[in-house]
Amino acid sequence: MSDASFLLLDGLTLAYGKTTAVEGLNLSIRRGELVALLGPSGCGKTTTMRAIAGLMPVKSGRIVLDGRDITRTPANRREVGLVFQSYALFPHLTVFENVAFGLRLKGMSGKPLEDRVLTAIASVGLSPFANRKTPELSGGQQQRVALARSMVMEPKVLMLDEPLSNLDARLRLEMRTELQRVQKESGVTMIFVTHDQIEALALADRIVVMRNGAIEQIGTPEDIYNRPESAFVADFVGFENIFALKDGQLVTPGGTAPIADAPADAAALAWRPRAVALGNGPFSGVVRSSSFAGSAREYLLDTPLGPIKAEADAAHPAHDLGDTVSFGLPAATAATLRRFG
Amino acid sequence: MMQKILAPLTLALVMLFLIGPFAIIVAASFSAGDTLAFPPQGFSLKWIAKVFTVESFRQSFAMSLFLAIGGTIAALILGIPASYAMARYRLPGAETVRFMVSLPIIVPGIIVGLALLRYFVIPIGLSITLALFLAHTALILPYAVRVVSASLANLRSDMEEAAVLLGASRLGAFFSVVLPNIRGGILSAFILGFVTSFNQVPVSLFLSGPGVRTLPIDMLGYMEIVFDPSVAALSSLLAFLSIGIVFLAERFLGFSRYV
Amino acid sequence: MFQNRAEAYALALPAAIFAAIVFLIPVGLLLSEGFRSAQGWTLSAFVDFFSQPLNQKVFLRTLKLGVMVTAAAAVIGYATAYAIVSLPPGAKGRMIGLVVLPLMISPVARTYAWIVILGRTGIVNQALMLVGLTDEPVRFLFTETAVFIGLLQLFLPLMIISLISALENLPKDAVPAARILGANWFQVFWKIILPLTREGLIVGGTLVFTGSLTAYITPAILGGSKVLMLETLLYQQVTVANNFVAASVIAFLLIVMSFSANILLRRIATARNRK
Repeated sequence: MSDASFLLLDGLTLAYGKTTAVEGLNLSIRRGELVALLGPSGCGKTTTMRAIAGLMPVKSGRIVLDGRDITRTPANRREVGLVFQSYALFPHLTVFENVAFGLRLKGMSGKPLEDRVLTAIASVGLSPFANRKTPELSGGQQQRVALARSMVMEPKVLMLDEPLSNLDARLRLEMRTELQRVQKESGVTMIFVTHDQIEALALADRIVVMRNGAIEQIGTPEDIYNRPESAFVADFVGFENIFALKDGQLVTPGGTAPIADAPADAAALAWRPRAVALGNGPFSGVVRSSSFAGSAREYLLDTPLGPIKAEADAAHPAHDLGDTVSFGLPAATAATLRRFG
Repeated sequence: MMQKILAPLTLALVMLFLIGPFAIIVAASFSAGDTLAFPPQGFSLKWIAKVFTVESFRQSFAMSLFLAIGGTIAALILGIPASYAMARYRLPGAETVRFMVSLPIIVPGIIVGLALLRYFVIPIGLSITLALFLAHTALILPYAVRVVSASLANLRSDMEEAAVLLGASRLGAFFSVVLPNIRGGILSAFILGFVTSFNQVPVSLFLSGPGVRTLPIDMLGYMEIVFDPSVAALSSLLAFLSIGIVFLAERFLGFSRYV
Repeated sequence: MFQNRAEAYALALPAAIFAAIVFLIPVGLLLSEGFRSAQGWTLSAFVDFFSQPLNQKVFLRTLKLGVMVTAAAAVIGYATAYAIVSLPPGAKGRMIGLVVLPLMISPVARTYAWIVILGRTGIVNQALMLVGLTDEPVRFLFTETAVFIGLLQLFLPLMIISLISALENLPKDAVPAARILGANWFQVFWKIILPLTREGLIVGGTLVFTGSLTAYITPAILGGSKVLMLETLLYQQVTVANNFVAASVIAFLLIVMSFSANILLRRIATARNRK
C-alpha cells in the first residue's frame, strides 16, 4: 500500500438499472488529500461518492481503500464518513446522541464515550447545544453536528456532498475555513462533491472535473483555472469565448478567421472576457449589452466571430450600446485546449 | 346582507342534522323510562349501568376489542414493511402491491365476509373468530399502509444512509432511525385502524356464530328484540370512547396530519 | 432508493400475499359463482336475477338513492362548506371538528337515533300531532325517505370535508373579483366556484355515492324488508333464501359499481397530480 494511492478507483462503472451513470473511472487519491469532484448535475460525481460510501452497488471495477479492496464491503463496515447535503441528522435525538450514534454501535459507553463525543462537539464549537434536539438548530449548526458526527468515527475518508451550497455567503466562508481546519488538524482524506467551481478552487488540493460519467480533467486549482484542457472545462471555469482551431485559423460561425502565433498542437483556444483586447485588434463588433460590475465593465459584442464577451477596466470610458468597437484575440492570453467539446 | 343570516342559519341546521341525532341518543340513554323515547322520561343511570350487566354485550365487546387491537397490530406488522418497501426501494410492481393492499377499501365489506364464510369457514372449517380476525386485518391494512406511507414520505431516506455509514445494519437503521421518526404515523394508523375495525359492521355480518359476534352486530341483534334504551346507552358510551381517543390523538400526535 | 430487489420483495410480499389469500381469491371465487353453471360459463344467473321485478326494483332503488343522496349532499355540502370556509380560523377549526365528529361514532348508533326521531312515537310524530297536522302517527320508518335521510346524515360529512379542502384552494380573490365584474351569486357559483372545485365535488361525490350503494346498516334499520337495497337483499338471499348464486350476482353488481366510481376518482386524482 502506498500513500500515493490511499483511495483507488479502478475502472469503476456504476449504473442505475440500465442507465450507466459512471463508466470506467480511474482515480487515485493520496492520504490526507483534499479532493473536489466538480461538475454539473448528472455528471456522475454524486454517484461516484455514493459508490465510495457503499450506498451504490458497483457494476464493475474496484474500490481500494488503504490497501483493502472494499468494492463489496457493506457501507457500515467501510470506515468512510459522509456529510450529506441535507445533513441527514436524526431529528429525534439530541446533538449529543447524534454524535454518539456510531460510537454506541461500536460498543462504546460510559465515560470514554462521553469524553469523545463532547470533544467532537466542542471541536465544532457546539458545546452549549449538546443537549438540544437537532431541529432546533440553524442550518449552519446542523451541518457542524453532521461534521462532528462523521469525524468522531475517525473515518479513513470523509466525504461531503455540496457542503457549502445550503449556506448563506457569510456562513459559507466560515464553513470553508472550518473544513480546512478540520482537515489540517485531523489529516483526514477528504473528498467533496460540488457543482460550484469557486468552491472547488478555493478549498481543494486537487480538482477532478467530471462530465457525463467520466473524468474530464484532473489537476490542481491552478491547472484547472489557468490551463483547462477541454472546452468543457474552460467554459466551466469562466473562459467564455472558445473557438476551435483548424490549420492555424479560428473556426467561427461566420467562417474561419486568421490568428497570429496560434500554437501548433492546440485543438481550440479560449479567452476569458478579461483576456479579450478591447479597442485594439483586427476584429470589430457592435456593443449589444453592457453592464457595470464594480471594478470592471462587461460587454457583449455582436461580431462576425459570433457573440464575444469582453471586459474592460471600469476606469476606461464606457462604450454605448450600438457602438462599433475593435478588439483582438491575442494567442498569448488564450488558454490552449487539447480538446474542443 | 342576506349572507349574514343565511350562512349561520345553514350551519346551524346542518349541524343540528349531523349532531342532533347523536345528542338525542345521549339524552335517551339517561332516561328513567323503559322504552326508547325522546324527550326522556326522567333521569337515571340505570340503562348505562345495565349495559355492563348484559352478558352478550360483555362478550361481544371483548371480541370487538380483540379484533380492533389484534387486527390493527397484524395490519401494521404487514403494512409497515410493505409501506417501507414501496417508499424506499425500486420495486417493480409497486403499483400492483399498492393496489392489492388497497382492495379491501374498495370492495364492500359484506362481500368479503360472505366470501370468507363460503370458502374458508364452511368448507375448511376455519373458526369464525379466526375468519373475523383475518377479515378485520385485511380491512385495516389499506389504512395502515396509507398512513404509514404518508409519514415515510415525510422522512428523508438519507437519514438511514447516514446511520448505515455510522455502522448500523440496514435493519438496525430502520429500528434506530426510521421507527422513532414515524412513531406518530404508526400511532395514528393504529387509532384509525382501531376505530374503523371497532365500528365495522358489513364485514362481520356473516361471520357470527353462537357466542362469537362483534359488538355492533350484537347491538343490531339486540335492538331487533328489545326496545329499551340500553342500546342507546351503549352507543353513547362507545361514541364517547371513540371521540375521546381521537381527541387525545389529535391533541398529542396531530392525528389529522396523517389521515 | 435502495436497489436490493430481494429485500424489497421480502418486505412487500407478505402484505400482498395476505391480501391475495384473504381477499382476492375468496372474493374472486365468490364472484365467479354468478357466471358458472353445470354447463359451464354463462350469464343466465344475471338474466334470472334481472327477470324478477323485485330485484329490478331493488337495483334501481339502490341506484336512485345513491344518486339522490349524492345530489342532496352536494347541494347541502356546498352551502355548508362555503359557510365554514368563510369563518375566522378558530371557529372554522371547531366547525370542521363538529363535521368530522359523527364519523368517529358507530354507524349503528347514528342510525339508531333515527328510530327515536322518526318512529311512531318519535319526535317528528309528537310534533305533528301536537300541532294537529295529523291524528294518527305518520309512518316514516321503513320508507325510502327514512333510508334517504339516514344515508344523507351518514355520508354528508365526507362531502363537506372534500368541498372544504377544494374551497380552501380557491384563489382568494376569485369570488370578489367576479362580484365586482357584475356576476350575481348564481353566476358566481356556476362560473367560478363550481369549475374551480370540480375535483373536490367529484371526490366527495364518489365517496358519498359508493358509501350509499354499499351501506348495510341504514337500509337494514330504517328500511327493513320493506325498502330493500342491494346489500340488504344480498343478506336476505344468503340468510333466508340460501341462494348463493343470486348473492354472487349482487356482489358483482356492487363491486362493478364501486370500482367504476373508484377508478374515476383515481383518474381524476392522478390527472391533478400531473399538473
